[in-house]
Amino acid sequence: MLQGVAAGAGAAFGLSLVPERLLASPVSNSNPKRVIFFMQNQGFDPKTCIPEGMTGSSSLANAKLPEPISALEPFKERLHIINGLHGIHTSPSHSAFFGALGGYRGSDGVPPSASTIDYELSKVLPPTLLPHLCIGMDSIENMTTKPTIATLSASGAGQPIFMHSNPNHLYQMLFGGISTGDIRLQHEAKSNLLNQIEMLAAANGQSLPSAERLRYSQYVQGFSDLNGLRNRLDTVSDHLRKFAPVVDERYTKPKFETDWHDILLDLGISALTSGITNTLTIGSGRGEIFGAWKGLGVEQQGHNLGHMDQPDNPIWIKIRQYNSRMLVRIMEALESIPEGSGSMMDHTLIVYTSNNADKQHTNGANWPVMLLGNFDGAFKTGCFTQLDGKRPINSLYATILRAAGQNCDRFNMDDKLAKKFDDGTGPLKELLV
Amino acid sequence: MIKVRFGLVILLSCGLMSVASGEAYQPGQKVDSDYGSFAQPFLTSHCVDCHGETEPEGNLSLHDLGPVDEVNAATWKAIWAQVSLREMPPREVTQPDVVERLKFSDWVVAELTRVMHDKGGFHAHHDPHKGNFLDHTLLFGPLPDGIKLVPTSSPARIWRVTPQEHITRLNELINTEPDFDPEKPGLRTHGDVVPTNHGGELKLYFGTDRIIQWQGGTVAYATSVKSVPAILSSARNHGLENYPDFYTVNSAEATQIMGVAEDIIEYMADGPLSIAQPYQITDDPKSIADKMKGDLRGLPTSIVYSTKVKRPLTPVYDLMKDDGVTDDRLRAAVDDLFERLTFRPPSQTESDEYLAIVKQSIEKLGKRDGAVLGLSSIFLDRDALFRPELVEYGKPDSHGRVMLQDWELGLAVNHALRYIKPDEELRQAIVEGRMRTKADVKREVERMLADDTVRKPRVLRFFRDYFDYDLGGYICKDSKALADTGVKTRGQSYYRAMFDATASTDRLIELILHEDKDVLKQLLTTNKVVATKAENVYFGKKLSREERLAAEAEAKKSEVEIAQKEAAELEAAQKEVTELEAKLEANSEEKATQRQLAQKKKALTAVQKKIAAAKKERRGNQNSNVAEADLSGEKIYSRVSRRSFGTGSMKPDRFLATIPEGQRLGILTHPSWLVSHSDAMDNHAILRGRWVRERLLGGGIPDVPITVDAMLPDEPNNTLRNRMRVTTETYCWTCHQKMDPLGLPFEMFNHAGLYREVELDKPVDTSGEIIDSGDPALDGKVANAIEMIQKLAESEHVEQVFVRHAFRFWMGRNETIHDAPVLQDAWRAYKDNDGSMNALLVSLLTSDAFLYRTRDVRAFVEVN
Repeated sequence: MLQGVAAGAGAAFGLSLVPERLLASPVSNSNPKRVIFFMQNQGFDPKTCIPEGMTGSSSLANAKLPEPISALEPFKERLHIINGLHGIHTSPSHSAFFGALGGYRGSDGVPPSASTIDYELSKVLPPTLLPHLCIGMDSIENMTTKPTIATLSASGAGQPIFMHSNPNHLYQMLFGGISTGDIRLQHEAKSNLLNQIEMLAAANGQSLPSAERLRYSQYVQGFSDLNGLRNRLDTVSDHLRKFAPVVDERYTKPKFETDWHDILLDLGISALTSGITNTLTIGSGRGEIFGAWKGLGVEQQGHNLGHMDQPDNPIWIKIRQYNSRMLVRIMEALESIPEGSGSMMDHTLIVYTSNNADKQHTNGANWPVMLLGNFDGAFKTGCFTQLDGKRPINSLYATILRAAGQNCDRFNMDDKLAKKFDDGTGPLKELLV
Repeated sequence: MIKVRFGLVILLSCGLMSVASGEAYQPGQKVDSDYGSFAQPFLTSHCVDCHGETEPEGNLSLHDLGPVDEVNAATWKAIWAQVSLREMPPREVTQPDVVERLKFSDWVVAELTRVMHDKGGFHAHHDPHKGNFLDHTLLFGPLPDGIKLVPTSSPARIWRVTPQEHITRLNELINTEPDFDPEKPGLRTHGDVVPTNHGGELKLYFGTDRIIQWQGGTVAYATSVKSVPAILSSARNHGLENYPDFYTVNSAEATQIMGVAEDIIEYMADGPLSIAQPYQITDDPKSIADKMKGDLRGLPTSIVYSTKVKRPLTPVYDLMKDDGVTDDRLRAAVDDLFERLTFRPPSQTESDEYLAIVKQSIEKLGKRDGAVLGLSSIFLDRDALFRPELVEYGKPDSHGRVMLQDWELGLAVNHALRYIKPDEELRQAIVEGRMRTKADVKREVERMLADDTVRKPRVLRFFRDYFDYDLGGYICKDSKALADTGVKTRGQSYYRAMFDATASTDRLIELILHEDKDVLKQLLTTNKVVATKAENVYFGKKLSREERLAAEAEAKKSEVEIAQKEAAELEAAQKEVTELEAKLEANSEEKATQRQLAQKKKALTAVQKKIAAAKKERRGNQNSNVAEADLSGEKIYSRVSRRSFGTGSMKPDRFLATIPEGQRLGILTHPSWLVSHSDAMDNHAILRGRWVRERLLGGGIPDVPITVDAMLPDEPNNTLRNRMRVTTETYCWTCHQKMDPLGLPFEMFNHAGLYREVELDKPVDTSGEIIDSGDPALDGKVANAIEMIQKLAESEHVEQVFVRHAFRFWMGRNETIHDAPVLQDAWRAYKDNDGSMNALLVSLLTSDAFLYRTRDVRAFVEVN
């Protein structure tokens, strides 16, 4: 959510950067990259994504994708299935929580011990109005009672990033300027409030000794950034209108939680296609070991879903197919927006995996991942890669950081840990072109 | 070359003579000299001999360093550290005199501050880890000639609250904590902090005091309960958590605070109804069985809340409970919430401003949504997040200092001890103009210190910061390395034990503070321990191979005996059943026999179950790697978090026991401290040694030079001591001799804190040495940690260093030489009152450093 605003305040809100420039405009000559993390909870069993009979690395061209991900069949030239990364050090049984994207030990109630990869990428990618957006999908009860929680992303040790689960709030934040009705009123009231808070905060800084002013001015600047973001979003409202989803009944009267999942995804996609952000994290099941998908006809919810073997399980086939359709929606939307000599999708990387490695009760020895898109030609696609289980998910994250332009050999892994948990160093060459 | 240098030395000596013979030097004052006339001659005189153009020591040439600029800033910083710490020039050569050294150090700091002003600034001299860079003898020894001290004060400032202070403050809005129970003084009570939860995360919990039922196990509970994590950031690793100039609040935090604020206001208004369906609030969960069908685990709808209202009912509740809005009710809500969040009543202007904001929101969104949104703005008031000490209105004295007064003074005193708002007596004193003098402060501090019902969590916070015993649960252990220590590694049990251990040590410190006699010495040498049953393992002894084999043989033997006994019991029960069955076969109509058979069958099942359970327990408890300690004794309690994890939540129950004699002594030998100073794989002897050097001996360690690749060799078959041989190379040893020989005596414990006599099947080497401590009586070899601790605990020098750390914590800054009188008074107060922490606190909190502020530090320097 808005954390990125703060984190990127210095770079992202320089006065010289006009909003159009920050919108990662599709007409720009440069190729602004974007990255999406889709984290399904309860594990990602490799059998549900690796084509039958495929054991070693090979092309997917002549293979048939398994039923759970069959929706990706038309997109398989963009797909790269990776098996054999590990996350033993993240203690992923019952979810690694922040550790899944951080590559460090996580567990229920354990605060993040460092920043996570999505946040780091949001800093490396070209500045956008909102450097990083996190959305979380859960049971309807959880999404209404706890519309924001923080379980997956972090900007540093002890600094969790909240994810959005109430689409009404999220719509107001992203598209309040072009909203109507109740959302409009809320947007206006909040705008007024934030302006007043900024004024009060600034007035309270007047009396500070000079030595304290600088530190306090960062506080005031924070409000200035928030108000600035809103104003800038307002100034590009014509542009945003083209991308904003239409608010319908599902926002206020969802029949199932999956209605909200769908519109949260719409909002996430709009934030990408409109250029408001270029880093999106989706937590399906919000990093925990529960979650519900009643709209798919999955009557069971919660923990039991994790106790089932996923392959050939009708419930998990439904959930994974639903995920796959979501991935397709993202790709189709990004393909429809021209960018450079191709489309937005050409410069995008989608990382699909689980915050729970391969299954709910796991030691993390295998952590399957699917990549979609080649990130402006950086990643190989249309193939399956079997790794030897000796490199951690951290190495995948280091690889993406490299491809995003950050020179880094390891992500959140010092030499001492690497001695135990990483057989190599630098990016995963098997993945890069 | 030699000739040239000689010439410069003469020149320099002349220059310095003028300083020495002139006016007395007031440290911190601006040194009106430039590089060429001042710093260069110093370098030439004291440094260039070794750090010259050819074959310089440490490959560092200073002959052409030049004035401070952003390129050579790192070198100048290193020079500042070496000269301040009197590491350089080396002892065997002529030393600059005290004034010259201080003046040079001040000049470098001033130049680095000036040059780096718009490049991220220079803050090293404000870093608490560098507090010891000021020579101890300058503070506690006789004042050298040529130095003039001025009456001290602290800068006017705003002090951002810590995450824990913030969460505790917010917690007061939605939860009513129990009153202090003198019968169970260790239980968490109103005024104590919100502690971290089962996983070490700091969270604010909603409605947990009313939950009477939930579905599922521990994780399900943790998921379904509404909680929000701490929002403000803190970069604490080791040492003091919070100086005023550490932190601000960024826009991400501000946004999140606003979101949480709305949730809190709604809870203040509606209680659990704001997070639950009406049917979930009942005292008879059975009555809603029809609604609780199916698997609801992890859902907020799986919870049942009692009907008893527990949260504080405030004017915000009054405002929301009835329809309509009146100015009076609105203003009451604004004023009350403002004081709950900032700890002081709003001024008329502030009250008007927030009232206007709330009204505007209501106008736009209607009463309910408008009031919630409008009131949330108060959570972002400057004074809800920063505590001001600005002395805007007082008149400066002849030294440019203004004494804090009224609300600023009252809140400073309150904050020195408490996390929640001032109690009624202090509030009255402030309102009635009785918080203006040193005597006022003394009265209030003494009153609060004497009253157990007034909880003083900030005192405990100091001891956490000082000892750093609360970090064990955050150190991610390698599973195999952990298993090698002898403790169980299954699930999260180890990490939970570490968070429990922190709470145990907290309580032990409180008990020692309650006695208030020889506090530091007691902390270092107490034979008492507060522990859970599980801590028997961690306070136990890791067995050697031979001992383990013997223990296993013994266990096997007793297992056989137990099994025989169990078999006999089972056989007897079985026999009775068989006999009755036979009887019934002969006469199946006999009712009495039928009844008897049913009973005996039941008894047989019970025996089978009992045996199975006992077997399981024996299997679970079997740990032949460890001779567990027997920590039994008086039943007491420790302050743990609200239920955060279902039945697996942290429990307050503890024993006050005596540690195994000869194996441990004081809290530096408790697992909580030992593990906090360990890493994933092993002990961290360097960190432990550094702790002793800095916190007990008052020594300083310069930053690791960037050229150093600080890695020990990875040799699993060698002891840590052996692997640390690399630090004894000349280049490293200059610094490491200050740490390693002080840390290695703790090798008598493994990295989970268990006592051990062997390491890698050989007797463990626990020898060490106190080198160059600043107190010659302390210096010398020690056989192990216990001997070292006994020595240190007797030292006045160590006491003084402890006082320096207390000064830093309560003043929120590093001491300067001008604070010497304050420090000496504080130590004297501690000493004269038999090592009383309370006396030390009264002295510090009534000192000029605590009471006075200077608005313009530059003007202060000029006035003085």
